[in-house]
Amino acid sequence: MFYQFITGPLLWLTFIVFFGGLLVRVVNYIRGLDWQLDRVAYRAHPGMAIKGALSSIIHWLVPFGSVGWRVKPVYTIIFFVFHIGLVVTPLFLEGHAVLLKERWGINWPTISMGLADTLTIGVLVATVCIAIRRIALPEVRIVTTFYDYFLLLLTAAPFATGLLTVYQAANPWAIQDFWLYAHILSGQLLLMAIPFTKLFHVVGFFLSRGQLGVDFGVKRAIKAKGGFAW
Amino acid sequence: MPEGILCNKIPVTTKEQLDAVLADKGGKKYYEEMKHLDIDVEKLQTTLQATCKSRMRTWLEMCAHCGLCADSCFIYLSNRKDPTQVPSYKILSTLGKIVKQNGNVDNAHMKYCMDVAWSKCTCCNRCGSFCPYGIDMGVMFGYLRGLCFSQGFVPWELKIGSGMHRIFKAQMDVTPEDWVETCEWMADEQQDEWPGLEIPVDKVGADILYTCNAREPKHYPEDIAEAAILFHIAGENWTVPSEGWEQTCLTIFAGDWAGCKSQIENVYGAIERLKPKRVLGTECGHAHRCMVIEGPYWTGRADGRPPAPYLHYTEWVAEALRTGKIKIDPAKRIKEPVTLQDSCNYIRNYGLKDITREIMSYLVEPGYFVEMTPNKEHNFCCGGGGGINGIGMYRQQRNVGLKVKRDQILATGCKLVVSPCHNCWDAIRDLEEVFELGIKWTFLKPLLIKMAIIPEHLKPKEEEEE
Repeated sequence: MFYQFITGPLLWLTFIVFFGGLLVRVVNYIRGLDWQLDRVAYRAHPGMAIKGALSSIIHWLVPFGSVGWRVKPVYTIIFFVFHIGLVVTPLFLEGHAVLLKERWGINWPTISMGLADTLTIGVLVATVCIAIRRIALPEVRIVTTFYDYFLLLLTAAPFATGLLTVYQAANPWAIQDFWLYAHILSGQLLLMAIPFTKLFHVVGFFLSRGQLGVDFGVKRAIKAKGGFAW
Repeated sequence: MPEGILCNKIPVTTKEQLDAVLADKGGKKYYEEMKHLDIDVEKLQTTLQATCKSRMRTWLEMCAHCGLCADSCFIYLSNRKDPTQVPSYKILSTLGKIVKQNGNVDNAHMKYCMDVAWSKCTCCNRCGSFCPYGIDMGVMFGYLRGLCFSQGFVPWELKIGSGMHRIFKAQMDVTPEDWVETCEWMADEQQDEWPGLEIPVDKVGADILYTCNAREPKHYPEDIAEAAILFHIAGENWTVPSEGWEQTCLTIFAGDWAGCKSQIENVYGAIERLKPKRVLGTECGHAHRCMVIEGPYWTGRADGRPPAPYLHYTEWVAEALRTGKIKIDPAKRIKEPVTLQDSCNYIRNYGLKDITREIMSYLVEPGYFVEMTPNKEHNFCCGGGGGINGIGMYRQQRNVGLKVKRDQILATGCKLVVSPCHNCWDAIRDLEEVFELGIKWTFLKPLLIKMAIIPEHLKPKEEEEE
């Protein structure tokens, strides 16, 4: 009964909040752009704008694709292990795909269990590294707030609980399927929190990078051959 | 005391006000009055609502507190990695707080904002190119300066600078008459050596309209003479406007938004009046940023472009060398290790990196040009940008900030730095004064005049007759 609820109505609610919330964020962001206040001619040079935006996004989306990534190799590795695991694992996990197959008969591509485990452990190790980095480096510590740790925990929770589910770990209260429920609920909490927290960067990254890319594309790098050398 | 006599929310617009502020040497009384300034919270809220839009609000909200911006900031590096100099900390603790509290801040916070906005950021925009989200804190500090200015929290020198622009349409008290006289004087001075040299004023339809920095007529008139000599050698059909000649805009440094608009309109007015084919600015990064990069937006030009193609001086020099309008005597090329200062305003923020290197390839004997590390769009600010060069109160902080450029120059092993930007030129001069490295620094104009092959017909007649 509980399982039916959390994988039925609650799941739908989660998706509505997640996708709806992000859509609102995207629309509000774009509506709030102002060519004169931002001093970026968003509409006047569409070709240059698109080229600039894509260049800005792609250079930062690819590991070591930007000067910024290359000067911080250790962080870059932690960062990409964390993010690749975060995105790839839930989307292509066999255990998730089987739900799609059972409910709607959709054949969704999957990754092997071994890869999924590796990626998940990667996420968890990276989480610990990020937390240590926040404590250890003075330049990170000074900008770190309690909220940052909370978001890190919120993000890592579905992965930790997912791993415990798969390996059928014992739980402190000996409740049946405890880790499965914890996994589903923490995953839903994460998805629902995304539009309302800094985690909205799942779309915000593309918007913000795109915006600065347009800025350099139509204005601040117009004389640089091939655009700004990110 | 809500409003001071000298320090207040009202920009300087009359000669009397200006003289009163100027008479307060070093701004002693001015800063004393600032301590008691009230904050007009309602005005701050209205301004935030009207001008702080999704781009900036997203930047402030989304900052992941990752600290990757730290090492991108030369002020952080030169202050022994003091965490309070981390760009994201600086902006979140200033503008971030104002936005979060919707303008409900006190005098102490605004004073803190002023100190950070003018002494801990030169708006070089380097951090923006190292943030994974592309959060450009230089842009935000520029905005914060505007909020500070509107509340009366602006360094004394920039209150004056803004007033100068509003009264004289120039950063210094140079009237159109002074300017035209200086041009005539400079042209006269050159007649022995350069017979027939002219500085044509207000010629309609010239190929080039030349604009400069007020410090040239005020303190370095030879700079105007040098520009004229190079146009003369290159055989250019050029002119200067009697009005609208001042290309800089200290109002941008000051955060005086209305002052920016009127200064830029003044220059664009000259372009529209004189209809030149192209406009050319002097060797100044700030001036280029004002009139060419940001200016179109301040004046509401939706295409983001000035009324006529507007070149940086280096673009014209590269073109003149490339087309042979100016020929360099190979024997006179630089034959000592020489490096090049990349100005943030037209390299990182306009992309002229290849143009300046093309110029160096003509001026320097192969093998003698040494790049700084890092360079081009990732170069460090000279240490003097964003107005900090001229603010007495922040002199010490400015001098500390020069260390990064000092070390960059030392690492090249060069004793000569080519610096086609007024602000960089000043900072490197001061750097030599503070650290005594034994280096020399130069604009392009004197180098070009020294190295150019003078066409026979331009040489003084007496020599030919002898």
